[in-house]
Amino acid sequence: MAGLLECHALSKNFDAVDAVVDANLEVAKGSVHSIIGPNGAGKTTFFNLISGEVPPTTGRVYFKGQDITGLSSHQIPHVGIARCFQRTNIFPKLTVFENVWAALFARSNASALELIKRVSDFGEIKDKARKIISEVGLEKKLTERAETLSHGQQRLLEVAITLGGTPTLMLLDEPTQGLAPEATQEMTQLIQGLAGRYTILLIEHKMHVVMAISHLISVMHFGHFIAEGGPDEIRQNEAVQEAYLGTRR
Amino acid sequence: MSILIAGQVLNGLATGMLYAMVGVGLTLVLGVLNIPNFAHGTLYAFGAYFTFTVANWTDSFYLGVLIGPLLVVLIGFVIESQGVRRLYGAHHDYQLLFLFAIALILQETVILIWGPVGFSLLPPKNLAGGVDLGFIVYPKYRLALMLFTATLVVALYLLMTRTIVGAILRAGIENREMVKVLGININKVFLFTFGLGAYLAGLAGALSTPIWGLTPSMGLDILPICFVIVVIAGLGSILGAIGAGIIIGLAQSLTTVWWPEASNVVIYFMMGLVIIFRPQGLFGSR
Amino acid sequence: MRDRNIYLIILAFIVIGPFLQPRVTVTEMLIFGIVAVASNIMIGYTGMLSFGQAMFFGIGAYVAGLLLKAGMPLIIAMPAGILFVLVLSIAVGAFCVPRTGLYFICITFAFNQMFYFIAYSWTDLTGGEDGLAGIPRPSLLDDPVSFYVFVSVVFLACIVAMKRIVDSPLGLIFQTIRENPERAAAVGYNVKLYKWISFTIASTFTGLAGTVYAMLYYIVPIDQIHWLKSGDFIFMTLLGGTGSFFGPIIGAIGYIWMYDTFALFWGRWPLLMGVVFVVVVLYLRGGIVELIGKVNDRYQRARGAP
Repeated sequence: MAGLLECHALSKNFDAVDAVVDANLEVAKGSVHSIIGPNGAGKTTFFNLISGEVPPTTGRVYFKGQDITGLSSHQIPHVGIARCFQRTNIFPKLTVFENVWAALFARSNASALELIKRVSDFGEIKDKARKIISEVGLEKKLTERAETLSHGQQRLLEVAITLGGTPTLMLLDEPTQGLAPEATQEMTQLIQGLAGRYTILLIEHKMHVVMAISHLISVMHFGHFIAEGGPDEIRQNEAVQEAYLGTRR
Repeated sequence: MSILIAGQVLNGLATGMLYAMVGVGLTLVLGVLNIPNFAHGTLYAFGAYFTFTVANWTDSFYLGVLIGPLLVVLIGFVIESQGVRRLYGAHHDYQLLFLFAIALILQETVILIWGPVGFSLLPPKNLAGGVDLGFIVYPKYRLALMLFTATLVVALYLLMTRTIVGAILRAGIENREMVKVLGININKVFLFTFGLGAYLAGLAGALSTPIWGLTPSMGLDILPICFVIVVIAGLGSILGAIGAGIIIGLAQSLTTVWWPEASNVVIYFMMGLVIIFRPQGLFGSR
Repeated sequence: MRDRNIYLIILAFIVIGPFLQPRVTVTEMLIFGIVAVASNIMIGYTGMLSFGQAMFFGIGAYVAGLLLKAGMPLIIAMPAGILFVLVLSIAVGAFCVPRTGLYFICITFAFNQMFYFIAYSWTDLTGGEDGLAGIPRPSLLDDPVSFYVFVSVVFLACIVAMKRIVDSPLGLIFQTIRENPERAAAVGYNVKLYKWISFTIASTFTGLAGTVYAMLYYIVPIDQIHWLKSGDFIFMTLLGGTGSFFGPIIGAIGYIWMYDTFALFWGRWPLLMGVVFVVVVLYLRGGIVELIGKVNDRYQRARGAP
């Protein structure tokens, strides 16, 4: 069965460094698929290969059966993939509303003629934006500038902007990065709420989050995918333990 | 005709090496501090004017060329430490605009101090007159200038590649954050670089005086040339700036043989070609 | 402050201005008000600092001036000038926009200088160093009052049009590019394309202002196309405040006022401008608008507002 997202022999080589080597990944529709691995394993680079920030050296990426390899980062959202970033990547001086509105408008297929209208005239987009902002729990901050939000709230905004891309597949890069336990719980619940409606490819460091919500886990180490399986399998996998703990039995 | 061309080639080389000097100064500041120094042209002008004053005072061209550029370095230190440094936290456009404003102030200061009329400065006695090269008799001063500048370029190259200071500068051009992480005082690096850039501009201005004289607008006129050099060479490439400076000098001089009116504009067409066919610059890597 | 109130203040200024200052001065303020607001679309909204706006201003002026001298009516000369600048800005933009930051500044700067030299050297066409002189005004506009009314109408039309652009999704897209070009692309915007659009809009309106300027003093002096003038335009924008739409108008007014007050008496007046510029860059980056905001805050606090 063909996955929603398929990577075939995807590799990225930066001069002397092999950041990603021969990645063959398949993401099933509607699932939550996590990628874990020690720091520097190449996880974010792998995301960049899919989302167009970085072109692969070799290999191909297929989405919904279409070859999307080499599409630039601004073309990717239009095939139905949206990503959030590991370091907070919002529009600081725009309001929370405008942050999400901008993402929605990009995907709205509005014609050039409609550019004469004011931002406030687009009722449908306004409603959608409000809905998304409520879903992530930022409705109280609707008209606040994004730079005034706390770190945790900004991570939520990251996800909101990603939702604004009305994607089929979401690439979430460490959404709980830097979050305290309570905020992490909030984010985990949010992602769980999104599962099913969206296909989610998730990079995470916090094991309890990964184990709780993933259907499938892939493990990266020095650019290679060394293991794949459900949460229980991965927990017991020796290669994985070695990668993380550096022990040899 | 061929004598004319030969003469213009030599002129182009002389001019080009002066351009190279100013261009390298700008490239250093651009590469390490990441700011296009809009005041660079006026530093060039101050170099010329300081040299003029000191040379007349002491009756020695050499003393003028020695001291003038050093005074320019002082100005550079003041600009960097009192103004540019204060704006590091702000968006870097503001550093640029600050330097533009300084350029305005310095430009007018030149006129305030030395008046709106230009001057001329004769080369030192032992460099006056011409040298018979066989195919042409060529001004001694310009030959000496080429020799001197070539030596300076070699010295600069050695500084950049063989010394720790040079390594730090090159590292700073590559990756400023890394330099900070290595524990090097980045403020000192910036101050030094700005001063070095100022020195090169001032020296070029000083050395240019016997050839072109001094005019109040010389600072404003040289700045666009510096920018063209940077664009043609590619950001952060010092050798490239040297090469580009010489190429531009030659292009300007040779164009005057066939189409004098175009000699000013030709460098912009060259820049345009580089932008189209090799946007990262002839020698740049980014 | 609500837009409607701002428009009222602007209208009041237009009506009262000529009684407070020479009519010619106020006319210049309006013309450069257009330039400042247009330049701010690039600088303040999209985050593109260009040192080349003078080339579009100058070329708009030269083209309109030449056509008027050739006997063309205004209805042809002005739109032709605007169209010429539009096409040129698309072409120049194609070269400049793909470059960012410093490179963008260097290239717009160099293009500006290239056109300056063309204007300088092509004496037969442009009058060279002496400028393009003897530009006739259409007879309908040949007295000070009707010209002033004309400029006021053009000014208002331009401001309203640009405000509409800035309030539209296009304006928001420009701002996302300023705030975070990487994210703007990641949500699906072709950043280069929108930068190009911003560049073209800003440059075309600037050129439009140039076409009007040609008729103001019946001459286009060559310094209007020099890169220093580009610096003046940036100064106006910054002085007024790049963070607001209307702010740059105040900057233009301030700049023209300073110019007309000092330039006639003191040849070294750019030094004063440089000093003001330094003060603004170091201490008042939000411009006069920021100053007004701070004063207003103090006032509110003094009133004991919650």
